[in-house]
Amino acid sequence: MLDGLDDAATPAAVRPATPARERAAEPRPEIRFRRRIGLRTALEDAWRSRELVLTLAERDLRVRYRQALLGFAWALFTPVMLMLVFTFVFAKFAQIKTPGVPYPLFAYVGLLPWTLFSASVSAGGMSLVANLSILNRVYCPREVFPIATIVVAAVDTAISLFVLAILFVVTGFTPKLETLYAPLFLPALLAFTLGITLAISALLVYLRDLRHALPLLIQFGLFATPVAYGISVFVKSTKQLLVYSAVNPLAPVIDGLRRTVLLGQNPEWDALAVGTASAFVVLSLGYWLFKRLETGIADIA
Amino acid sequence: MHNGTIQATEIWKRFRADSRATYLQDEISRVVNRIKGKSSNGWRWVLQDIEIYSEPGSSLGLVGANGSGKSTLLKILTQVMYPTAGRVNVAGRVGSLIELRAGMHPNLTGRENIYLTGSLMGLKRRRVAERFDKIVAFAELESAIDRQVKYYSSGMQMRLGFGVAAFLEPDVLLVDEVLAVGDAVFQQRCLDRMRDVLNQGTTLTLVSHDLAAVEATCREGIWLHDGEIREQGPIRDVLGAYRRWVEADAETAQHVAGRIEVRAEAAPADGGVIRTHETLELTLRVTSSTEYDAWFYLGVSEGTASPVFVINRFARLARGETELRCSVANLPVPQGRYYLWLAADVRGEAGPEGEELLAWQPVCEFDVFGPELDWPPRAVVRLAPVCVNASWSVEHG
Repeated sequence: MLDGLDDAATPAAVRPATPARERAAEPRPEIRFRRRIGLRTALEDAWRSRELVLTLAERDLRVRYRQALLGFAWALFTPVMLMLVFTFVFAKFAQIKTPGVPYPLFAYVGLLPWTLFSASVSAGGMSLVANLSILNRVYCPREVFPIATIVVAAVDTAISLFVLAILFVVTGFTPKLETLYAPLFLPALLAFTLGITLAISALLVYLRDLRHALPLLIQFGLFATPVAYGISVFVKSTKQLLVYSAVNPLAPVIDGLRRTVLLGQNPEWDALAVGTASAFVVLSLGYWLFKRLETGIADIA
Repeated sequence: MHNGTIQATEIWKRFRADSRATYLQDEISRVVNRIKGKSSNGWRWVLQDIEIYSEPGSSLGLVGANGSGKSTLLKILTQVMYPTAGRVNVAGRVGSLIELRAGMHPNLTGRENIYLTGSLMGLKRRRVAERFDKIVAFAELESAIDRQVKYYSSGMQMRLGFGVAAFLEPDVLLVDEVLAVGDAVFQQRCLDRMRDVLNQGTTLTLVSHDLAAVEATCREGIWLHDGEIREQGPIRDVLGAYRRWVEADAETAQHVAGRIEVRAEAAPADGGVIRTHETLELTLRVTSSTEYDAWFYLGVSEGTASPVFVINRFARLARGETELRCSVANLPVPQGRYYLWLAADVRGEAGPEGEELLAWQPVCEFDVFGPELDWPPRAVVRLAPVCVNASWSVEHG
């Protein structure tokens, strides 16, 4: 397909009389560029870029809070507003029962991990597109951009914890001792969030129209996850619980948080294990997809 | 490999022929076409079998027409873009200025951008802080450094971008077409800065259409044409070949018919070859269908439309053929290939510029034999080659 291209493009008169060597129309197959991703090199690369991740996260925070007069109040805005809406809609109209727990508290505990997830996916999904000018200029491991948005979302979530504390005080409800289990839910939450964010951020570079669908998908995810209501809406048996946990690793996280913090029960260990395993599968797939698509980003940007 | 070495072997790169932002529907139609068995030969090679080796501290100039692959090659050297085939190895920290205003985040202040770029280049904050004042002084942004970059003028963004790339101790500095945007003062300071970093041992790769600046800054050159290396070697040879090609291209493309026809010839006064500082005889045979009171403009150029010198002359054209002779005594250009450019117009009623009889175009070429031009100091741009006789005396006291 390339024959003739050469001749057509250059007048014969100015071509050197004897070409240095005969050029093939295609590169030799053995020198073709192949992306190799070793887990170790990838992790090393990411670790070396930790300062960059923090700088980028700091940048995002600065930009956001410089523009917004209300400053860090915006971090609280989404979960608090959703909690109020949920309280109004689900507790008053749909009459959802949360025995022993005030509904606002029930909803807010579910909203914390959900907000971390949705904020990461919506901001992180756009992170490569938004930073194309940097991507096209300096080499750095590209995953730093989505990861930085997750750091930002984590900061926001940490701020939102203050509201949780206030809610406990206002409702006079004391968190149970089992709250100490809470860190066990973090691996599943973070791995799932990171995997989805990585995959979507790379896909959005290639399929730009998909960004219009992203808010809708997140909206859909909100209702496919037991945020406004308990997990019992979705599952009736242990088998269903395990399947559901595998499909949506956020479910055992949110349900587990409620069981431990609010109800003082032990987590559903099986569901948590399945969810965590599934989350790491999602992370692996998302990271693999990201690395595959990463090589072509500069070509189309 | 020592820091600052650039090694690229057998670089090939192809793009989709319809390179534009992709949408889901495009991907779907692509997949559908593939299933239907319609082969979409939607690829085109933009780089073919490129070999580059630059030692630490060397300077490489990339020239070539628009779309010849220069910027793509630079992006591959930055390792922002991946080649389709081949290996790239750039040792050390890379500073690059590839796109105008690139990498500057509009919502951050100049200060924050400097630190961000620093950490993108892998520098610790402390190291950036040490160089901060120099960058600000170079970019002349003392009063604006805490303003958001989106409120900067394009010149300020450019200065900041170049300052950041050139002052953060890069081992390799890749520069694409900065000189085109800045004003004359800034251009000169960019050139000075490039000379400084070269003296510090940084490897420089410069892409520019300003051939004089490339010649002043770089020692080695590559001329890319349609993604292939057409010429590689000392910068003067490469630029010479490129200028000749530009000229040949211009000759075929630019020959504009005027109201008069001219055949031109350049010859030495006494037979033999044309030599520097000897007499050049130019003969113009003009065919005209009407009588004109015409002005002729003769220019000698190295290949582009910008001449080294211009001479003009009034001449009354008769109906039919008129022969004009011009004798240039003491031809002031050094060895090389030159082109005679010509234009003619009628002054008077149609305004000061007159009515055009013949557009500015090359009419013939000639080779000059004589001395090579002396080198200017690095990063000093010589505007046009003029060969002068100089006598020196050196006294040690």
